[in-house]
Parts: sequence; C-alpha cells; structure tokens
Amino acid sequence: MNTEQQSHQTQSGSEFEREPVPKSALLGFKSFIGMYAGEHCAGTELMIGPLFVAAGVSAFDLVAGLLLGNALAVLSWMFLCAPIATRKRLTLYYQLEKICGRKLVTLYNLANGVMFCFLAGAMVTVSATAVGVWFKFNMPGLNDLYPNSIGWVVAVAVVGGLIAIVAAYGYQTVAKFANVAAPWMVLVFLVFGFVGLRQFIEATGTEVGSMGDLWGLAKTEIWKGGPPQEGQVKFTFWHVTFFAWFCNMAMHIGMSDLSVFRFARKSWYAIASSAGMYVGHFMAWISASILYAYQLHLNPADTDVLPGPLAYRAAGLVGLLCVIIAGWTTANPTIYRAGLAFQALAPKSSRFKVTLITGAIATIAGMFPAIAMKLLDFVALYGLVLMPMGAVIFVDFWLIRKFGLQSYYAELSKRAFNWAAGLAWLVTLSICLVLVKLAWIIDKLVNWDVFTMSDKVQWIKDTFTVQIFFVSLPGWFVAALLYTVLSKIYQKKLRPVAAE
Amino acid sequence: MRIILQIISLLALIALTLPSVIFLAGKMELNMVKWLMLVATIVWFVTATPWMWKDNSTEA
Repeated sequence: MNTEQQSHQTQSGSEFEREPVPKSALLGFKSFIGMYAGEHCAGTELMIGPLFVAAGVSAFDLVAGLLLGNALAVLSWMFLCAPIATRKRLTLYYQLEKICGRKLVTLYNLANGVMFCFLAGAMVTVSATAVGVWFKFNMPGLNDLYPNSIGWVVAVAVVGGLIAIVAAYGYQTVAKFANVAAPWMVLVFLVFGFVGLRQFIEATGTEVGSMGDLWGLAKTEIWKGGPPQEGQVKFTFWHVTFFAWFCNMAMHIGMSDLSVFRFARKSWYAIASSAGMYVGHFMAWISASILYAYQLHLNPADTDVLPGPLAYRAAGLVGLLCVIIAGWTTANPTIYRAGLAFQALAPKSSRFKVTLITGAIATIAGMFPAIAMKLLDFVALYGLVLMPMGAVIFVDFWLIRKFGLQSYYAELSKRAFNWAAGLAWLVTLSICLVLVKLAWIIDKLVNWDVFTMSDKVQWIKDTFTVQIFFVSLPGWFVAALLYTVLSKIYQKKLRPVAAE
Repeated sequence: MRIILQIISLLALIALTLPSVIFLAGKMELNMVKWLMLVATIVWFVTATPWMWKDNSTEA
C-alpha cells in the first residue's frame, strides 16, 4: 500500500496548491525512484502477503500474477496519470475543483477521509499485534469481526492513541523518521523472506541445490494452492494480477498522484513507481507470505494472521520493531491526511483537534479486526470508491472537447457542483456495488418471495455477479461513458457564459 | 564526519542483511542472526538519523 506517499503529497501539496508547478520547482528522476522505492513497504504489507496464502494461492499464480499486476500498475501511472500531471501540473484537488466544482470536491474529500480513516485503523491493528507478543493477551483470529479480548482493546487504544497524538503534535517529525526507517524496513522485509525460506528448507528436509529445487519447494510446500481458509475467497492468477494492479488504483487510475507527478520533468518518470511496486508489492508481499505459510506448515490449525508473532518468530525483537514502525510511520500520514480531508469540510476547525478526532476514529476502527482481516477486500473497495473520479479527469482532459463539450466545466460555468461528474461517480459506484452484491441481493429477494429462483434468475446470478477485485475495470469504462453522456445533457442545459 | 556516518550506516545495512543470507545457506544459527540484526538496527538508527534527518530538512 502506498500510504507514506501521501505524506509527500501533503508536504508537496502545501506548495503551488492553486497554480501550476513552475519549471524551477520540477524534480529529477532520482527523486521519484527514492520516494516510491522506500514508501511501498507499509505495515499493511505484513497483512496482505499472509492473506494471499490464506486465500489458497499457488506459487505460479502468486509470482506471475504479481509480476503482471505490478507491471500494469506501473503502466497505469505512466500512461494514465503522469501525462496529465506533467501537462497541467496541478494538484488533484485543484484539477477536480475546476471540473467538478467546490461542493463535489468536498464530498470527494469526505469519501477520501473516511477511507483513509479505516486504512489507518488497519495499520493500528498491525502495530497492536506486536504488543500482543509481549503482553500475551488474546488476539483476533482470521475470521473475527469484533474485538475478542480486553487486552486487545486496550492495546489498540494505547497504540492508536499514541499514533494520533504524535500525528497531531509532530506530523513532520514522524514523516522524517519514516524516511530514516525506510531503507532499514525494506531490508528487514527481505530478511523475513530469507529466514522463512531457510525455516521451510529445514522443516521439510528439502535439499536445495538449484533454482529448480527452490521452485519445487515453493510449489509443494509454501504456496501449495488448493482451497482457501474458511471465510476467504480463493485467489487465482487473475485475482493476484488484478489485486496488484488495483491496490493503488486510487493513486494511478484514480489520479491521486497527479499531485506527485506534477513535479516531474517528463511523464516517463512515472516508471519510477516500478521501484516501489517490485520492492513493496512483490518482495515484501512474498516475504510476508512465506512467514505465514511457515506458521501453517508448523500448525495447519493456526490460521491467525498476526504480523507481530509472525515477525517475532523470524527476526526476534527487530521483527517486532519493524511491525510497530511500519504500522506507525504509515498510519501517521494516513491519519494526518484524513484529518486534512475532514478539515476541508470545516475549514475554521483546529488542525490539531481534527487530527486527534480522526485518530480516535481510526483507533476505534482498528479495534475491529474485520478491516485488517478483510484487507484484500477493503483495499479493492478503497480503489473502487475513488476510481470514477479518475475516469472523469481522464475524459475531461483527453476526450470531452472531441465531443464538442467544455473541459473544466464547473470553473467555466461557475457551478459548485457539476452534476454530470457527480452522477458519473455515484451511479458508477452504485452499479459496481450492485454487481458485487448481486448474488446476495438475488438470494434476499428470493427469500422474501419477491420472485422464485428460476433457471433464468440463477443464470443472471451466476453470470453478472462480479467479485470486488475485478469490478473496477468495467467500472472505469462505465464512469467514462456516463460522464461523457451526462455532460452532453448537462452542458446543453446549462451553457457556460464563456461558451456562449 | 558526515561521510563517516554514511559509511557506518551503509555497513549497518549490510550487517542487517548478511546474517540472514548466511542463515539461508545453513551456516549460522537463527538466534545469532537475531542478535546481529538487533545490533545492526541500533547502529543504523544511531548513525543514519543525523545525516538523513538533515537531508530531509534540506529537501523540505
């Protein structure tokens, strides 16, 4: 997950907020390499890797899926986000304000803030699992939705409270500390992989003399495939590919990183994101997944995904430190940024108080393990919620004038709420969520005797229900089409003064 | 001074990783790996913080 990056957005976002970045402020390629390489090793990587194993992924599906999915993510940054960023050189929010109007951007901020809050909650959960290693209280299991011990609630409250207070008092200090910790953290993740691999070699008595032997061990012992753990969705090659592609969807296809790449001299600098993808979303996920696979190898009944104990087993105290620091340094900017998003709703409120309240919400969210244990689904939802606005920006920049319509319509017409963009966002989200929940909706309607389960209804259920990991791709085209069609209607109805 | 701190912190990162490679090769005990990693971690944060903190301030 790229959350540390948000800190950069916040820092850089304080400059040139309402004007294009001037040539004198542009950054070289190396700045982006460093930024992405260090910043995709977050606390949540320690959950995602194990959850792949819990989803019954096989070795080929994992490795090939991550290679392809991460490549698609890099291409999305290069060909969707960066070309617009380097041509306009505006922040996401200013660009959105020109297209959508101030009120719609406020609504977008609210959605963004809520998602950040829950994401920060998952990071607090990750850090709190390290506390459990010391204090030995009951920690949540893979399918737990609610807190299951007083010790857990207290640990999350203390960890989350501290993170919130530090974020409110000294956000910049933690951001600097995160930069110091980044190279160390990346290497600790690598160590997790090496140690886990050796533990597997010893536990299985495998002789590894070549890459072929290693691959054999990976296929037969580490990522064996087969059915997922109870309550988990089975992950195939396509699940892994789409998850790796879309887990940062808000940033590339959703265009959040317009705020980052507006500082790039050339749009191809976005290839720097590959450093982050293949360090954080390849190496770190694989390493973390090996630790969990080893836990299952030792005791197949021990299905708990708890980064603290996993890291402690592999690297002792350093592993625990890594879990705490990874969770803390990534929750910090996330809470701060969620606070900024909420503050946009009430600009006169104190930044300190808003950050504290945001941290408190994230802490309460962190007490519920449902978010962390269902992190794969939550991350997919996070991308889905913000994706339609990326499609709106794409169409507004590249296509809308080809249809004889106005770009930056809210600015031209002085509207505070562009209904074409607003409806494109909300209708797309509704369609996608209905498709994801279609099987559940049909079952409910059948239970309520609204209609009977005929062959045709069953066919509709089987054919049109889409898992959340895949729905964002058709959703992007729906959003783009809706924005174009609705703009055609809306702009005819409300001709801007400038156009007349 | 800065260059010395940079060299020591680089060595700390090597010391952090190398024991696990030796463990992977089956030539070191895991407990020893954990201790060496802890020492390397302390050295990293002590020596990298002064120069990296300064670099960050300059960038900001």
